[in-house]
Amino acid sequence: MTMTVRILVADDHPIVRHGLKTLLVGDPTWEVIAEAEDGVEAVEKASRLHPDLIILDVTMPRMNGLEACRRIRKSVPECEVLIVTQHDSPQMMREALDAGARGYVVKSNAARDLLAAVAAVSQHKTFTILDHRAASKV
Amino acid sequence: MKLRILVADDHELVRRGLCTLLQAHEDWEICGEAVDGREAVEKAKQLKPDVIILDVGMPNLNGLDATRQLCRQNAHYKVIVLTITDTDQVIREALDAGARGFVLKSDAARDLVAAVEALQRNRMFFTPRVNDMVLAGFLDKGQTTSTNMVPELPKLTPREREVVQLIAEGKSSKEVASLLNLSTKTAETHRSNIMRKLGLHSIRDLVVYAIKNNIIQVQLPVGTETRPQSPIV
Repeated sequence: MTMTVRILVADDHPIVRHGLKTLLVGDPTWEVIAEAEDGVEAVEKASRLHPDLIILDVTMPRMNGLEACRRIRKSVPECEVLIVTQHDSPQMMREALDAGARGYVVKSNAARDLLAAVAAVSQHKTFTILDHRAASKV
Repeated sequence: MKLRILVADDHELVRRGLCTLLQAHEDWEICGEAVDGREAVEKAKQLKPDVIILDVGMPNLNGLDATRQLCRQNAHYKVIVLTITDTDQVIREALDAGARGFVLKSDAARDLVAAVEALQRNRMFFTPRVNDMVLAGFLDKGQTTSTNMVPELPKLTPREREVVQLIAEGKSSKEVASLLNLSTKTAETHRSNIMRKLGLHSIRDLVVYAIKNNIIQVQLPVGTETRPQSPIV
């Protein structure tokens, strides 16, 4: 039996959440169970809903995605985190992985990489690709 | 007949979000998408859309200059400008450029459909802050308060603004020439005219000018959570 992957999407821009959800419709075994518009809301909803995977933006009001990632990994360790950000930077990717994220996707490439990233991260596999093709499997 | 809409934003994720939102309306169709202002201007010529939605912060040609070019080509184009900020200067430039709609990206999920509906009925659509500004401008007969005043700068031609954007984005004179179908010598002449007109002495000065005048937008670093809204992507 195929298990549904329950996903929480956190980004401060509704139109981006809309775009992310549109991409995620591509796999019927994935279900977006909730949305959050900042890090604080993401941490709260993660603790309450125990999603399998959280898609987290980095630059958000109140609490950024890296801090939210640290807290979520501590409070809900079974929940995997995929960072989806505009920051096309190896340093930021390293910080995200250090914070406990399992995957890192640059927003400008989300249409290309998001589905593969969610598929990998939901199976607890690391997925990181930067835009400038310094791509690396970590 | 369906309303045909052209959507221009350099971020595919945002275009997806915008298109999904608009396609939910059964009488509308997305007739084309563009990744920058230059492509939007080209596609508008070919596709003759009823409504054009343009992001402000796009590479190669920003949304404000694209609006200027489109409205100069055809005064009947109905352009909605999408922006991350509603500063007086951006609002003023969008209105001057000929936009009939002005929507904040952060509010797009809520306001964009209403904006397109308004333009479809040959009306305009502005965020409440723009409405206030337009009304204030009307009451003041076009005068602005000193806090709203934008410093008076020498006027650049549309072509020169395009060159400013491309140089500020780091392109060489050769690349500018290639993108704008000019000779390298002409691109260099534009460049020196711009520097002279604006009294600038370095590329750094030019980049600062381009940022201050909304010709390019910069990505802010993480750790700016106190701002009300982060850049859209």
